[in-house]
Amino acid sequence: MFTPLRIDPAKVLGEITAFQRKLAAGMESLRGLHEPDYANTPREVVYREDKLTIWHFKGTGKPTSKTPLLIVYALVNTVWMTDLQADRSLVRNLLEQGEDVYLIDWGYPDGADRWLTLDDYLNGYLDRCVDVVRERHSLEAINLLGICQGGAFSLCYTAMHPEKVKNLITMVTPVDFHTPDNMLSHWVQGLDVDLFVDTLGNIPAELMNWVYLTLKPVRLNQQKYISLVDIFDNRKELENFLRMERWIFDSPDQAGEAFREFIKDFYQGNKLVKGTLTIGGKPVDLGMVTQPVLNIFAEQDHLVPPDASRVLGKHVGTTDYTQLAFKGGHIGIYVSGRAQREVPPAIHQWLRSRD
Amino acid sequence: MSDHGTDFMKQYQAWAQQSWDGWMQSLQGGAPNSFRPVASSPADDLLSRALGGLKGYADWLQAAATSGIVGQAQEDWQQSLRNLFTGGSQPFAQAFAGIDNAAAQGFTQQWQAWLQAMQPHGFGDLPGFGEMPAFGYTRERQMQQQALAEAMRAYTETSAHYQTLILRANAQGFEQLQAKLAQHMEPGRQVESLKALYDLWVDAAEEAYAEIALSDEFREAYGAMVNAQMQVRQLQQQQLEALCRELGMPTRSEVSALGKRLQELRREMRANATAPIVANDEVTTLRAEVAALKRKLADRSAAATVAVKKTASAPLDVDAARVRKSASARRATTGPAARSTTRKRK
Repeated sequence: MFTPLRIDPAKVLGEITAFQRKLAAGMESLRGLHEPDYANTPREVVYREDKLTIWHFKGTGKPTSKTPLLIVYALVNTVWMTDLQADRSLVRNLLEQGEDVYLIDWGYPDGADRWLTLDDYLNGYLDRCVDVVRERHSLEAINLLGICQGGAFSLCYTAMHPEKVKNLITMVTPVDFHTPDNMLSHWVQGLDVDLFVDTLGNIPAELMNWVYLTLKPVRLNQQKYISLVDIFDNRKELENFLRMERWIFDSPDQAGEAFREFIKDFYQGNKLVKGTLTIGGKPVDLGMVTQPVLNIFAEQDHLVPPDASRVLGKHVGTTDYTQLAFKGGHIGIYVSGRAQREVPPAIHQWLRSRD
Repeated sequence: MSDHGTDFMKQYQAWAQQSWDGWMQSLQGGAPNSFRPVASSPADDLLSRALGGLKGYADWLQAAATSGIVGQAQEDWQQSLRNLFTGGSQPFAQAFAGIDNAAAQGFTQQWQAWLQAMQPHGFGDLPGFGEMPAFGYTRERQMQQQALAEAMRAYTETSAHYQTLILRANAQGFEQLQAKLAQHMEPGRQVESLKALYDLWVDAAEEAYAEIALSDEFREAYGAMVNAQMQVRQLQQQQLEALCRELGMPTRSEVSALGKRLQELRREMRANATAPIVANDEVTTLRAEVAALKRKLADRSAAATVAVKKTASAPLDVDAARVRKSASARRATTGPAARSTTRKRK
């Protein structure tokens, strides 16, 4: 009779010894290693307000597109996932395609930002950012690219200010927050959000990171670092790993009031798809989104399940709706080799035919 | 394993311990027990997070090497496997320990210590303290302490329920591992390394965990635990603030209230900044209307003057209707001149 295990003792000893040897060597590899930079694609500040900055990126050539593209990132994590490293940069690839790219960097909220609401963020900050870019180009409307929570923000903004948005792209954007496989949503259903925010004020980034780690605790808290041992002797891979670690854990706190509203109205109330959402007293009706919409989601996304994004086509008012399913995860859609080849060209082609 | 193998493991463990000590000393700047902020460099930051996982895996490797799953004598491999994945060195608990220490267990210890510090008379340690009615000069303080003790009890209870579910996920993970291993019985498909076994277990453990984590019971337990923890924190903050007020120090609530008022003022200012534009628009519109009325009036006056001149013999009591009619009839003939005037006025 056979057993499923055929583990040779001699090989085991070799395996363990090799592990420890790599581990010991890893100490030398890490010593003196500086924090790896992000891609730092050339850029300039075109607007600042409170903690917020609008960056305008500069490509090697002049943009060929007539309409600028403003990237609206999520409030969680930093915007540099879009420009992580030179060979893994959504921004850089969009520039190479001929897009004129702007990016809203929300910054790091502190106690002074505790009372910022979604109305302040969307009808305040975001609206003024859109106006800045519109005025710079003397245009009535510009293109928006919303990422994750920033995608939900872009949808809401477009519904409230349709005249200022020409084309809308959403990436890994949650729309239906009550799909059965949405673990984050499942967990917050029993949360007393008022008690949570009243107690904590701003939500600490470390707490957010802890929650994300517990979505896949063994993989993210143990297996990932065991795999690290195999790249200790590869400086480039080690730097890539450290860069990603920097991005994952260098996160901003969440402004308390905006967090309260987002959890209550989006996660718990699922009001975006129910059509009952209001922001600053203004109704948010996705039927008002009549612009062309490109919706890109990741098929192996554990943070925003594909079904949470896929439903968008049923709710927006546009007759020009395109959907792109990417084979990868929530992060891979920006940094994987496949993403570099597929995503920016798809965005550019879609925009170009609507420029 | 053979005696030779056992001797090797002893030597190996000693060497491995030295290796770990080296890592730890590196993390502590070469001076064991000295205080040094964690994450003073990216490498240290990585180490502090990675070490827990790596150490857990290294311990598991050693336990696996001396367990009954290695080698030819595998009559009781299933029991050995169970011991390996559900016993003391099982990696699931270690994977969780890294985050629990920081977020949950540490919290409990922190607040228990605080609770004791805030109870100079040891009220909280008295049996039945939480059930006694409060009275006397310190009534309010007693009630606060009782509420905090009750919140701590609730947190301990909800946290225990959460931990039970985590343990259940681990047990189910092992069952799923067995199911996965059943697909590796044939020669050529067997698992041949500890790393391959570990990776297979990770898949099984995550699947089992996801199943539990998406259950209604977990949702309730998770919410209850977080809510209970927030309740403890809030009560503690209230007591701390009372102390701060006694010492004449500003409190978080006061600062927060100021921030709220400031943000409201900022909103009002923005609203007012856009309001004059609306008012200006209204004034502009009104001015345009007034100008148009003035022009009309001027046209009529001019037309009336012409009419009066040309009908000088007309009776003075001619009614307005006739004047208007007459004026409009003349305007028809003198229209271009009048329009020209209007343009000039502009």
